[in-house]
Parts: sequence; C-alpha cells; structure tokens
Amino acid sequence: MRDVLIVISSAVLAALVTPAAAADAEHGKALFVACAACHQEKPDALGPSLKGVLGRKSGALDDFRYSNPMKRANLVWDEAALREYIADPQAKVKGNRMPFDGLHDPKDVDDIVEYIKTYK
Amino acid sequence: MTTILKEVDAVVIGVGWTGSIMARELTKAGLNVVGLERGAKRMPSEDFTLPNVRDDLKYAVRQELFQDAQEETVSFRHSPSEAALPVRRLGSFLPGTGLGGAGSHWNGLTWRLLPSDHNLRTHLTQRYGQSAIPSEMTIEDFPVSYDELEPYYDHFEKICGVSGKAGNLRGQKIAGGNMFEGPRQNEYPNKPLPQTMAGSIMEAACKDLGYSTFAGPSANASEVYTNPEGLTLGACEFCGHCERFGCEANAKASPNVCILPNLLSDPKFELRNYAYVKELVYDRQARKVKAVRYIDTRTGEEYEQPAGIVVLGAFVFNNNLLMMTAGIGEQYDPSTGKGALGRNYCYQLSGNTVTVFFEDKVINPFMASGAHTTNIDDFNGDNFDHGGLGFFGGAIIAAGTTNGRPILTRPVPSGTPRWGREWKQATAKWYNHAFNIGASGCSYAHRENFLDLDPTYKDVLGRPLIRMSYNFRENDHKLVEYIGAAMERIGRAMNPTKISPAAVRRGNYSVVAYQSTHNTGGTIMGSDPKTSVVNRYLQAWNADNLFVVGASVFPQNASYNPTGLVGALAYWSAEAITQRYIKNPGPLMPV
Repeated sequence: MRDVLIVISSAVLAALVTPAAAADAEHGKALFVACAACHQEKPDALGPSLKGVLGRKSGALDDFRYSNPMKRANLVWDEAALREYIADPQAKVKGNRMPFDGLHDPKDVDDIVEYIKTYK
Repeated sequence: MTTILKEVDAVVIGVGWTGSIMARELTKAGLNVVGLERGAKRMPSEDFTLPNVRDDLKYAVRQELFQDAQEETVSFRHSPSEAALPVRRLGSFLPGTGLGGAGSHWNGLTWRLLPSDHNLRTHLTQRYGQSAIPSEMTIEDFPVSYDELEPYYDHFEKICGVSGKAGNLRGQKIAGGNMFEGPRQNEYPNKPLPQTMAGSIMEAACKDLGYSTFAGPSANASEVYTNPEGLTLGACEFCGHCERFGCEANAKASPNVCILPNLLSDPKFELRNYAYVKELVYDRQARKVKAVRYIDTRTGEEYEQPAGIVVLGAFVFNNNLLMMTAGIGEQYDPSTGKGALGRNYCYQLSGNTVTVFFEDKVINPFMASGAHTTNIDDFNGDNFDHGGLGFFGGAIIAAGTTNGRPILTRPVPSGTPRWGREWKQATAKWYNHAFNIGASGCSYAHRENFLDLDPTYKDVLGRPLIRMSYNFRENDHKLVEYIGAAMERIGRAMNPTKISPAAVRRGNYSVVAYQSTHNTGGTIMGSDPKTSVVNRYLQAWNADNLFVVGASVFPQNASYNPTGLVGALAYWSAEAITQRYIKNPGPLMPV
C-alpha cells in the first residue's frame, strides 16, 4: 500500500512539474491542410464543411449526403468526440465513409482540435 | 427528324482528359463551348465514395465504368486476308465512357516520352544507317520535338500533381530519378510515393546488376497538393482500388478533380450528358466541319449542333470512326500504302511478367497506389545499343504492388494446378509473398496494322464498326524475348524462393486477356498531308476547324503509358487555337 502511494504521489508530482504540452493551433492549422483536400466550402466537395463544427450535431448539414452510420451516430461534436473521431474514425463511427485512418499522434489530435475550435 | 440547335463557338466531343483540357482552355479564351459526353455525369462526391466504390466485383470484374460492347465495339482480324469478327466482350483493352472518361479510372502513370521517341525515324536512321529501318516498319517522327513540348508536359504534370523525382534537371543527371529522361525545367510537383516492399527488392537487385532504379511518375498524390487551377488533391491512402475505380480519397488526378469543378461552374461551358455523337457534318468544299449530329440516348431524339470549332476528344476508335464516316481524308490502303486515315494503328506490348515468390518476405499486395512502381529505363526505347539485335525499341521494366485485390490477384508458382485443393493451398500460401516484375514495350507501326470501317457489322447507332487489323510482328516477338530475358536476370538477382519463367506476348495477338488500353494511331500527326491526318497542332489537314486530340494522333506508340503525352499535346494544341487560330481561322501549317 505504501509503495502504491509513493507511486501515485510521484505521478502527481510529475504532472505538477511537467506542464502538459499546450495544444498548438498553428501546428493544427498546418495539419488541417490534409483535411481541407476534401473538407472544403465548395458545392462538390468530398467532405462536409467543418466551419463551426464544434458543438454541432453529427450529420447535421443539409447540403452534404452523409453515410447511414453517420446519420445514425447521434453525436454532438464536442472536443472529446472530435478527439476520438480524429484519432480513429472507424472506431468512433463504425462504417462511416471518410477514407482516412486517423491521426496516430495524440499531440497532433490535440493540435488539430485546437485549430478546429477557431475555425468558424 | 433532326433538331437544329443554335451555333456555338466550339463543340467538344467526349469529356475526358482531352475534352476537359480543350474546353477549359477555350472557355478561358472567351469562347462559348458545349461538351458532348455520351455517358453519365460522374463526380467523386456522388459516385466514388465509400463504401460503394470498393466493390471489386462490380468495378474490376464486371467493368462498371467501361464502354458497353453491346452498344459499340470494334471488329478484329489478324491480317487483311481474314474476315474480321466483332469483339463481343471487351478484354485486351477497355475504353472508358462517362464524364472524365478513362481519366477517372486509370492508374495514374504520367510519363514523358524520351527525346529519341519524339524524333524516332530520324534518330534511328542517324544511329543505325539509312537502310536500318525495315520497309514495312512505317514509323515516323512526331512533328513536335521533346524540347518544344517540354513546357506542356510540365504543365500537365502540375495539373495532375505528379509525384516523382527528376533524373535530368536542365541537363544535370540526378541519381534516384530517371537519368534517361529528357531535360526537365522543373522538379516534379510532389515528392515520390514511399517505396513498396516489392520496389525495395527491385532496387537492391538492380543495383547489383548495375541498373539505376527510380520511382515511376505517379498521378497519385504523395501529399496534399493544390494545382494551377486552384483545385486540391488529398494524399493517397494506399487503398489498392485504383485502376477501374474512381478515387475515394481525392488523391488520384482525374479531369473530375483537376479541371471539371472549374469548367462546370463556368457559364461559358455547357455539359450535355447522354449526348452520343453519331456523325460529323463535313463541308468538303469549305474544308470545314459545320456541325456535329448526336443522339440524346434518353429520348432517342437527334440533334445537330453547329459550331465554329470542333474538337474530337473521344477514344482512339471513335476519333477514327467519326473522321472515316464523314470522309475527312483518304482511307489508308495497306496494299498500296496510299491514304493516311487509319494508318499506323499501334498498341503496346503489355503484361509481360516474371513472378517472384519469397517465403520469408511479406509483400502486402493489396496496399498501394495505382501507379506505385520502382522502374528501370535501361532497356527502354533506344537507351541501349540495338546493333545486331534485329529489333528496335524496348520496354519499361518495373516492380511494384498495385491493385492486388484478391479476386483478380492470385499469384501461384508455375506447375500449380489451375483449380482444386492444391491451387487453394498455393493461393493461400503465396498471396502475400509474391509480386510481378512487369514490362510494357514499344509498339512500332507496321504496314499491315491499321484501322478501317467494317463492311458487315454495325453499332447501336447504325454506324459501321471500326475494323482493327492488327498482329504482333517480328519486331515485337524479338523485343519481348529480349525483355523477358532481362526480367529473368533481375528476378534471379532478387534471390527469390521461387521464380516463374518469363510470360511474354508470344504468338498471335489476342483480344481476350487484358493487356492495356494504350491503343494509338489512325489519325496520326505528321508533317506530310499524304501520310498523316493532322498537322503538328493537331489540326486536320482536310478541315481547318477540326482538331483531333488524344492517342489517335501518335504516329507509333512508345513503351510508356500514353496519358502524359496526351495531356501535353492537348495543352499544346489548345494554345495554338487560342493564340493563333481564333484570331485568324485557317490552316496553321501550309497544306
């Protein structure tokens, strides 16, 4: 028990002295270029517009033809949902038709979510 | 009854790569342009999305996006002494149909010809002597040199966002690129795709043999890219569904992604789908094509569209058919050598392979771009000495993994039964441990390989079929044996567990098995109106307002995939129209 406590307190200490790397919206913007190849504001774009997506319901845009799994997903795109989806789209909404297998570096995910927050 | 429509500045027949390029350039120059496309409107956002697009049976096996042979096909014979029969199921070649044409479902290999491919007859005569070229080999120079076309190759590569590495930048040879290529003014727009496992094995073996490998130039974007039209490609996801499929990831260059979004939103352009062009209305006296007659295939109604300029941008067979049925130029006759129309039909020596098997290596054949190859050009064109070989030309040799979907990809060592338990066991054992070394060879014109109109068989519109007279000739037979031996040497240098002997195109040409859709010629470009159909600007010698674009203008076929040259020639021709022809309509070259 004592050992466990020591381990926990070291972890807490480590968390206190090592500041969590701040999410970097500039880096997120650079990463977003890959998303923007499809997520554009044009009528024939392959992906739905992501302007103001934070807080939006999933499958909510009238002018985009979503897949059935996305129509049924019934999510609200809050930060947590976006993070999970960007990290592994098929795990979050199985069967959705975005041809992208996810960002594998958690820092990249944080940065891109930070950028999406500003993308209105 | 034919409805006569109001005249437009220009009409474009077929809206694939060439039709899209020409229509875009002409509308930018201020012309009102109508695009006539016999097939459906296809756009990636509607037609190429997951999960539907990954239907191997529908697209690859049942050929969803190709021309329907029940509506239009060609008849075929090996020589002028035989009666031709219609090809009732397309196999050897698969012409596209629909918006974007074959450009929406190609693999994406985007080459430039070698400088010596451009001036082929002159080059071979200078190097091997006046009498070196056999009289039945009717090869010609392209009437436009590599250096003249270089900026147009460059522009088309930028439109497509080609991924690759230069091997000759303004004369400086660069290892890792194709050092045999002509001088490039610019590096490729995107870095090469990451090398496949098969490519790494190829590179190591070729290094041992003293050959220099390079990444095949690929219109599958290696990174996010915005082209000069301001249109964006995404990075390839290596899904392995490329040839015969539209791209789900927005990563494969196509007219649909790289040009059409701008063209379709331009009020000067009007796209008419299901508009199947039946014939050209030719005024022999005025030497002009006055109009284009087409059928709306939804209603059966016939329309006549008068136009100031007519651009023929259909596939090779239809470009020939429409000129032959209208009588624009004299039909080629192999017995006299007279006439130019239908002359120098060429193909390609495709699908020559050596398969290598590695018990201890994982190849992942399902995971690659369409154009994802590691190449050598040491045995291509006239890059090696042909003295004493008895043939001219060569082949590109490549290894890579592409489109390794399991319905059509089942490599097994030679000697394996064709079906049953042993075949199943061998398939399971080797699927992930094998790949092909492949070669695609030049097809040089032969006096008796040509196109004309079939006297018996007709298509759905009642027009005669194009009759193809074609066979592999002595030059082809010697070429593929030479290349097969080279591939076997490379294969053995890989130290595989097993190697199958070279399977090359021996014997007669067959229309059954797929080889390539790299059919060329029949309306060839040249300097002499007696032996060519269009001049160096792709303007018909016999109708100054008719421009013919596409591989039907190649005087012979090099070993490369033709799309790079097709795109470059389209921009070259479009510039001649917009800079010169519009201001002063008439022949751009003295007749």
